[in-house]
Amino acid sequence: MNSSRCAACKHLRRRCPSDCIFAPYFPSNNPRRFAYVHKIFGASNVGKILQDLPVSYRGEAANTLCYEAYCRIKDPVYGCAGIVDQLNEQLKVAEYQLATIKAAITTTLQPSYLLDQSLPM
Amino acid sequence: MSSENAAGSGGGGGGGGPCGACKFLRRKCVAGCIFAPYFDSEQGAAHFAAVHKVFGASNVSKLLHHIPSQKRLDAVVTICYEAQSRLRDPIYGCVAHIFALQQQVANLQQELSYLQAHLAALELPTPPPLQPLQLLVPASQSLLDLPPIPAAYDFSAMCGDMVAPPSFWSLYPRQQIEQRQFSNAAVGGGGGGDLQELARELLNRHAPPTVVRCGNQASSLPPNSR
Repeated sequence: MNSSRCAACKHLRRRCPSDCIFAPYFPSNNPRRFAYVHKIFGASNVGKILQDLPVSYRGEAANTLCYEAYCRIKDPVYGCAGIVDQLNEQLKVAEYQLATIKAAITTTLQPSYLLDQSLPM
Repeated sequence: MSSENAAGSGGGGGGGGPCGACKFLRRKCVAGCIFAPYFDSEQGAAHFAAVHKVFGASNVSKLLHHIPSQKRLDAVVTICYEAQSRLRDPIYGCVAHIFALQQQVANLQQELSYLQAHLAALELPTPPPLQPLQLLVPASQSLLDLPPIPAAYDFSAMCGDMVAPPSFWSLYPRQQIEQRQFSNAAVGGGGGGDLQELARELLNRHAPPTVVRCGNQASSLPPNSR
């Protein structure tokens, strides 16, 4: 058994070639990383996505695929989209609070300003 | 795309022709086709093409089979969203939106903290502080050895000219979904209220209920290309 196989080739029970597309991004010490992307996207689709990218971008693509796969496994219905929706809600709340505080500051400062304007020169 | 044209409740065997998925896959659309309620024979084929390219029909089928039927509509919508995001941005997919939103929330949190301090200096009662920012990264990050949400990402490069991140549901508005051939059985008769309730439940899982929210605004659609 070739102990230098990457996690993908170990999972797929095949020989790991020297130019394996998965090897740089799915090391053998983290088998779950590949297991998750394989479960959600399939090894073939992941390979195609990585293959179509310049080498310098493949690492980040592999990371985001892993993240997406994990989110989908954790939440099969909403996946990453659930997180997007939650963050949009957080954003709305934050914007509302910001508007409230700005209004409070404006309201507070305004009477002082008017009072200063009314003082005799 | 009327409901009468639905391959809808029972797949292509109902006389409406193959569903979008089976049309794309060039296979017979059997009664009980898992995809039929969600991919009509017209626009559905295009949506399914994206889903198949990214996830694969087999994987999506397995996923849907493990989801209760009343939640499959939501699952299909989110899967379509992720598939299209990934095709639009093969490197980051929909994760780019997450990064951008987290950064925006963090920026607003910072501004809020500053202004609250300002208000405190003016010796005024301040509104209750926003809940501590909870970066929505997977809990067992160490187990997966996933990268943390990096602070150094160039969000402007990732998101282009996206000013306001789109609300996910603005991409798939409820009316648009209802005009498609989604069987009521599949939806479970829940209607739009169920979806909003589900969204609130998800939000409450991560943050306690807030007092007031801004009214729903039509969010800008994401850019078609980067």
